[in-house]
Parts: sequence; structure tokens; C-alpha cells
Amino acid sequence: MNDVVGGNAKRARFESLCQALRPDLLRFAFWLSRDRALAEDVVQETMVRAWKAQDSLLDESAAKPWLLTIIRREYARTFERKRLVTVDVDELIANEEPSLAAAGDQELADMRAALFKLPDEYREPLVMQVLMGYSTAEIARELGLSGPAVLTRLFRARKQLRTLCGEDDPGSSSE
Amino acid sequence: MMDHSQYRTAVLTDPNDPDPKLRAHLENCAQCRAFTAKLQGFESNLARALRIDVPAAAPADVAALASRRSPARQPAAAARWLALAASALLGAVLVGTIWLALPTRSLAAAVVAHMAGEPEAWTTEAAVPVPALAAVLQNAKIRLMPQAGTVSYASSCAFRGYVVPHLVVQSESGPVTVMVLVHETQAKTTQFDEQGYRGVIVPVKDHGALAVLVKDPQADAATVAKIAQRVRESIVWTR
Repeated sequence: MNDVVGGNAKRARFESLCQALRPDLLRFAFWLSRDRALAEDVVQETMVRAWKAQDSLLDESAAKPWLLTIIRREYARTFERKRLVTVDVDELIANEEPSLAAAGDQELADMRAALFKLPDEYREPLVMQVLMGYSTAEIARELGLSGPAVLTRLFRARKQLRTLCGEDDPGSSSE
Repeated sequence: MMDHSQYRTAVLTDPNDPDPKLRAHLENCAQCRAFTAKLQGFESNLARALRIDVPAAAPADVAALASRRSPARQPAAAARWLALAASALLGAVLVGTIWLALPTRSLAAAVVAHMAGEPEAWTTEAAVPVPALAAVLQNAKIRLMPQAGTVSYASSCAFRGYVVPHLVVQSESGPVTVMVLVHETQAKTTQFDEQGYRGVIVPVKDHGALAVLVKDPQADAATVAKIAQRVRESIVWTR
């Protein structure tokens, strides 16, 4: 009886945690994959894996980076299975139009289209910094990069985004 | 003293960088103040753009999904998997010759990639509950004799288009991962050592192949082969 109660409490706590974090995890997976359906699959698989490995999460405050790590790994596995070689960005943008729509806000829609066009190695750290609130050191740790390499990618990401959005950056060409 | 270029590079890297040198430059540079004001608008748009609408639907019952089988695709993905399978079949026909030339390397790499994606499989030593293990074995139409050792992880996993049993068995050399690959064709026993995993892929007559891996860097080829032999002898095929 106690086991049942304990199991239910454990499940409720886990599901509450997932529900709270799910929106940002879905957004992260979406910007990682640029495919809403794939993002939903990846997040669902992540939750299943997290449930099975939840005993390894000793501190609930670390749940977000823990889940994000599982998402990245799960996405990599999916990518490996699908063996995607070439990506037509215009096609991706067309496919994901409902996700990118911004209710009459053209600036926002343009920004989303520009984000789609960023190379993966620039988009991912940028999303981690802006959406997930990661510090440079945390991004470096997660991506297995040096701090300076992360800084370079973040700089290039914003530089390219601004160019794609038609904003000039005189005087900021150095790295 | 920081110049315009250094300032702009720094804020384009991290607009919230608290470095006092940035603040000092900003106080004395009207051009960079204008740049920063514009950048704040850009950052605001960027943050809004990243926050795409996501469904407010209640999450799936994760525990129930996990208890069915872990890496299974759900119905929403079924159509895409079907398409993927069709593409894979077509691809397999087109590149069959190349594939046949390099089967072992590809299979070993795929097995290692799968292992790396399930680190939780290595972390427990407790025996899997009998019903859970039975379900996985039954899916694969095999039985496992007691001499295989304690099974501490059992999952029916999607692997190269098939659902295969992924087991971790406790041995004197630590945890040993076993994947029963009835759909694979393996001409001969092949040892491999990839990404810290040492293993062997053994052909099993009429039943595909068996992949056995250990993480112990001290384990030599003979030890791995011995473990693989024992695992192989403990499997009873029921089809």
C-alpha cells in the first residue's frame, strides 16, 4: 500500500516537473530540429528516458539542464537514424509556417525565418543562451566546447541574424 | 581603453555582459549608446521569436509509456516511420553493394551509438522485475537461462528499423550489454573497440547476430569473447 502511495507521489511529482518544463523543452527541441512533429517526438522520448532514469536526478533544480542534455542526445539519435544529409531551408520554413507565424508581426516572422537559416552550430548556443538562460560556461560544458569557441559562435550567430534581418553592424566586424 | 569595435563585439556575444568596462565605454560613447538601443530592440524580438506557441495539452502518461517499451515511437510518428522505412528499403537496394562491403563497421558503430544514448542502462545493478524481463524476452521470442547472470536492464529498443532486446547483464567483469540482433546478417565474429566500449558481434546461425559490449577498458578481447560465449549459450530461441 505504501509502495503504491509512494509510486503515485513519485509519478505526480515527475509529471508536475515535466509539465512545468515541457514548453521550453519543446521550444528548444523545435529550434534544434526545425520540425515541430520531430520536436514533439524527441521531447516525448526524452520524458520516457527521464522517467526511467529519474533516480539519477538527485537535485530537482537541475532538472532542466538534465532534460536538455537528454533532448540533445535523443535528437542526435533520431538524426542518426534518419541520416539527413541535405536540408532545404526554404522548404523547412514552408513546412513549419504555422509555427513561425506571428499574427501580423512581420518583424517577428522575419526573425524566425532568419533563425531557421542560421547554421546549427550557431543557432544551438544562441537558443541555449536566450531561451534557456544558459551562461557561456554552461553552454561550453553542454556542447563540449571551449569558452572562447562559444563566444565566437554567439557573436557570429547574432551577426548573421542581424544581416539576415537587414540590420547593419558597422564597427563590429572583429571577433 | 575599450574601442567601438571591442564594445560591439562584446555586446553581440552577450548583451547582458556585466563587465564594468562595457558600462564605462557606453557612458562616454553616443554612437555605441545608439547601437545598444537598437540592439535591445533586436534582442527583444529575438527572445519573442524563440518563444513559439506550444500546445498547452496535458503531457502523456510518461510512466505508462515507459512501462510499455522505452524507445518506441508513438502513433503520431507512425506515418513518418513508415515513410522512413520505405526510404530505408529503397536506399538499401541502391547502396546494397557498398553496405555489404562494410557491414561490421556500420553495425558496430550503430550498436555503440545506441549504447551511448542509454547511459541509464549502466547505472543500476538491481535485477529487473521478472514480469518486465519476461515481456522484453517474449517480444524477441527468446528465453534466458539462469547462467546468463543477473539482468539489471531490459528494454525493447528500436534499432535499425527493428525492435530488439537490449539487456544489461551483471558479470564478474561488471555490467555487460547484450543486444540480440535477429535481423542482422553477420558473416563472422568481429571484435571492436569504439568510444570506450569493447565488444564483439557474433553470428548466430538462423538467428542473426549477438552484440556484446563492456565498458571496462581493462577487459581484453579474450574476456569479452568468453562473456559473449556464455551469453550466447544462455539464450534459448523459441522461434
